[in-house]
Amino acid sequence: MNRETRRIFRRLWSNASAILGFALLIFFVVVAVFAPFIAPPPSGRDPYIMPIVTWSSNPLPPSPEHPFGVAGKRDIFYGVVWGTRTAFRVGIIVTLISTALGLLIGSVAGYFGRLWDEVLMRITDIFMAIPFLVAAMVLTTILGTGLDKVMIAMTAFSWMGPARLIRGNILQVKEEQFVLAAKALGVRDFSIILRHILPNTIFPVLIQASMRMGSLVITAAALSFLGVGAPQGYADWGALLNYARNWMLGGQGEALKYWYMTVFPGLAMVLFVLAWNLVGDTLRDAFDPRLRL
Amino acid sequence: MTFYIIRRLLLLPLTLLGISILVFLMIGLLSPYQRLATFINSPERLKGADIDKLVEFYGLNDPLPLQYGRWLKNIFQGNLGWSYVGKEPVYDALVERFPYTLELALFSIFPILFLGINLGVISAVNHNRPLDHGLRIFSVVGWSFPDFVFGLFILMIFYSVLGWFPPGNLSLWAEEVVKSSAFRSFTGMTTIDALLNGRLDIFWDAFLHLIGPVLTLTYVQFAFILRITRSSMLEVLQKDYVRTARAKGLDERVVINKHARRNALIPVATVSGQTIIGLLAGAVIVETIFNRTGIGSFMSLAAQQLDYASIMGGTLFFGLILVLGNLIVDISYAFIDPRVRLE
Amino acid sequence: MEENNLLLQVQDLKVYFYTEEKEELKAVDGVSFYLREGETIALVGESGCGKSVTSLAILRLIDSDGKIQGGRIILGGKDLLSLSEKEMREIRGRDISMIFQEPSSALNPVYTIGDQIMEAIILHQKLSPPQARKAAEEVLRLVGIPEAQKRLDEYPHELSGGMKQRAMIAMALSCRPKVLIADEPTTSLDVTIQAQILELIEKLQQQLNMGVILITHDLGVVAGMAERVVVMYAGKVVEEGSRRDIFHNPSHPYTWGLLHSIPRLDVKQEKLAIIPGVVPDPLNFPSGCRFRNRCPLEDEVCLTEPQWCEIEDQHYVYCHHYSQIEILKTRGFSQ
Repeated sequence: MNRETRRIFRRLWSNASAILGFALLIFFVVVAVFAPFIAPPPSGRDPYIMPIVTWSSNPLPPSPEHPFGVAGKRDIFYGVVWGTRTAFRVGIIVTLISTALGLLIGSVAGYFGRLWDEVLMRITDIFMAIPFLVAAMVLTTILGTGLDKVMIAMTAFSWMGPARLIRGNILQVKEEQFVLAAKALGVRDFSIILRHILPNTIFPVLIQASMRMGSLVITAAALSFLGVGAPQGYADWGALLNYARNWMLGGQGEALKYWYMTVFPGLAMVLFVLAWNLVGDTLRDAFDPRLRL
Repeated sequence: MTFYIIRRLLLLPLTLLGISILVFLMIGLLSPYQRLATFINSPERLKGADIDKLVEFYGLNDPLPLQYGRWLKNIFQGNLGWSYVGKEPVYDALVERFPYTLELALFSIFPILFLGINLGVISAVNHNRPLDHGLRIFSVVGWSFPDFVFGLFILMIFYSVLGWFPPGNLSLWAEEVVKSSAFRSFTGMTTIDALLNGRLDIFWDAFLHLIGPVLTLTYVQFAFILRITRSSMLEVLQKDYVRTARAKGLDERVVINKHARRNALIPVATVSGQTIIGLLAGAVIVETIFNRTGIGSFMSLAAQQLDYASIMGGTLFFGLILVLGNLIVDISYAFIDPRVRLE
Repeated sequence: MEENNLLLQVQDLKVYFYTEEKEELKAVDGVSFYLREGETIALVGESGCGKSVTSLAILRLIDSDGKIQGGRIILGGKDLLSLSEKEMREIRGRDISMIFQEPSSALNPVYTIGDQIMEAIILHQKLSPPQARKAAEEVLRLVGIPEAQKRLDEYPHELSGGMKQRAMIAMALSCRPKVLIADEPTTSLDVTIQAQILELIEKLQQQLNMGVILITHDLGVVAGMAERVVVMYAGKVVEEGSRRDIFHNPSHPYTWGLLHSIPRLDVKQEKLAIIPGVVPDPLNFPSGCRFRNRCPLEDEVCLTEPQWCEIEDQHYVYCHHYSQIEILKTRGFSQ
């Protein structure tokens, strides 16, 4: 293959993956925003609870009335559409709060150093010593089910990544001339962190945040899948897949009959996570020259 | 080197103590009555007993530090409470199930590292050629696949359609043999025990049951290793010592596989801890989907049934495994990078 | 030029690099020089003039985004550019060795010094590992590393910068090459160590009767070591001659500028010359003489390519106005 085609191929890849990522993301945003029009909820009910559409607990295959089929007495299409909102809500809220928390802890550790750094980083290590899914699962169980509990539990165990990142960056930036200059001028610590250090470290944090979105949504869905997350009937991709679980082990040949229970919510999840991962990759390539490859 | 390992070993109890405090703080969120479950390791104790008296007996209304001390003492005596899910003391339940999870993890870690590292190197060496693009797509999709979705797909395809890899631990006939007295248990890991007992048919059956879960864990985890290896390999290939190696007249294969790869593995070693976390968390999902015995499915069942004693015991256990796993990672890291040994 | 003791000949070498936009970057554009047996020559020029690329091209170690587009590199009657990759590998490390600027990054951090030296010995001399170890120890002694036996088992990070460069030299000399290319071997070292390393290279060059190509931007280094000097500018050789010719009778304005931009104690200087401007962008070299936009002697003739002129025996210059170089002596670089 000659240079020219190779270059075009490379351009295409980097653009294609970025375009695909943003396109998917926009698609999901549109679905989330227009959920009430795409899958109108029954009036007077909480739209996040999937309405019961049949009395039999047997799953029903896709039909004109229920394009994605029916699982656990509920319409899968409705669940996938409103589940998009759930995914965004969980992902964005947990990412924002945990990033803010991490920013605070990381800044204090990195900027003040010494004992602060030592103590905070050891605590960070301990929080990281329990697998995230397990920790979130345990804390959710203790707090009680419900999406808000899931979000609290996930936030409690996902601030460490941004904290370590911001601490590392601050340790680097701290030695830079402009920070030393500000210090020499007697600028207060707090304003130094806020005005001089954070703006210089914010891009890596944002990139990391977008790359974490995917895994946070996966974990939240996994909790629902295991039956400790969203309450019964809540519009959540993991909860939809939970319905599928019991029918999968039915026996050879059985599971394929119920393919729609897995494929539609599963595909929604994979594409959603893929979108964030591609966007994260693109952002990293664009802003972090050290990682650009 | 020895010094390095000793230092790591000395840090171990400190981290474990930290984990125990964290777990205890979570227990502290429970009511004294719920907390009682983590202290009593036999349902007999509860029969006809006055719950309030028991709460008082265990001092569950005392200040938390005092309770922590007692709880820790309990743990050192192997008393983690009674597991409703397992219908036996939590400690026994964990010890009994651990070999299954370990077996799953061991069967998964080799393909993860082997595929991740080798494909990562291949991807980097073929930088921006079609093979590299193909592997990147393959890995970004794998990385985006939640393990429970992938597991369900595997189950659908390889069990439902093809009928190759059934869920569960063993077929019924094999289960009977394994449970019989003629079959001696050495490690608790069925595949290895089957080999030690000279039962190849049992080994094969257990192996078939492992493939689905292993495939699931592998695809989701190896993508991460591939990405790290690829990017660190690309960086290493630009290094002066690679040029030095070429200037010596070494074959390009030697340059890549000896000089470049070993250096590229350093960042891979530092993130292998992530892979252990992934395997443990993955066990929770995969064991549940594939209906296997293990700490993972035990934990998820306990969580669903609000079996606090089991959850807490399991969490402590996971913490312990993770800390030990990281110790192994650190040591392997020192083997790869001589500069670490001096620190 | 006496043909019989010619060791290495580089003729009209062209190495071009290509950017992502497929622009051609003529890093080395028609470079020729030769090296006799047992001789030290210096390739001198500012960074980016193509001297390092030239040396890598001799070993055919140009990165994948660059390509040797023409010329011949003749060693022992064979054109290296026509060899297969496999034949070329046998030349590398055995006939031609190279030492690099930065010893701490040129040595592989995860293998011991011994491993890295033995590797080349086993490869080219087909010795068994124990024999190779003995040979490696010997070559470490040769380069003046104390406790050679012990050093073999140490990792690069356990050695000081000067020791690392000695180890690097040991590795390069382990198979007694005919040609040693030293690319800025002392630039990254402390001043006190620099002299030791240069002395060592000079001593070994005589001891092993190697041809040495010394690549440097530092004329001080050249003054002490090289018998002949090749001055490069913007991918071309602008002047070539014996050390005496270059130092006492520089005939290209660029060489003159280089010489007079360093303070010297042995020559009475009115003031230091400063060459105005910067090295031109390799994507956009001026037509004709590439030095013309920085040259005080520039006129319309310089828009055409200069000719090679042998102005004294074995003293060549690539300039239209070499005969007017005297003007610089009175006027300097101020125009």
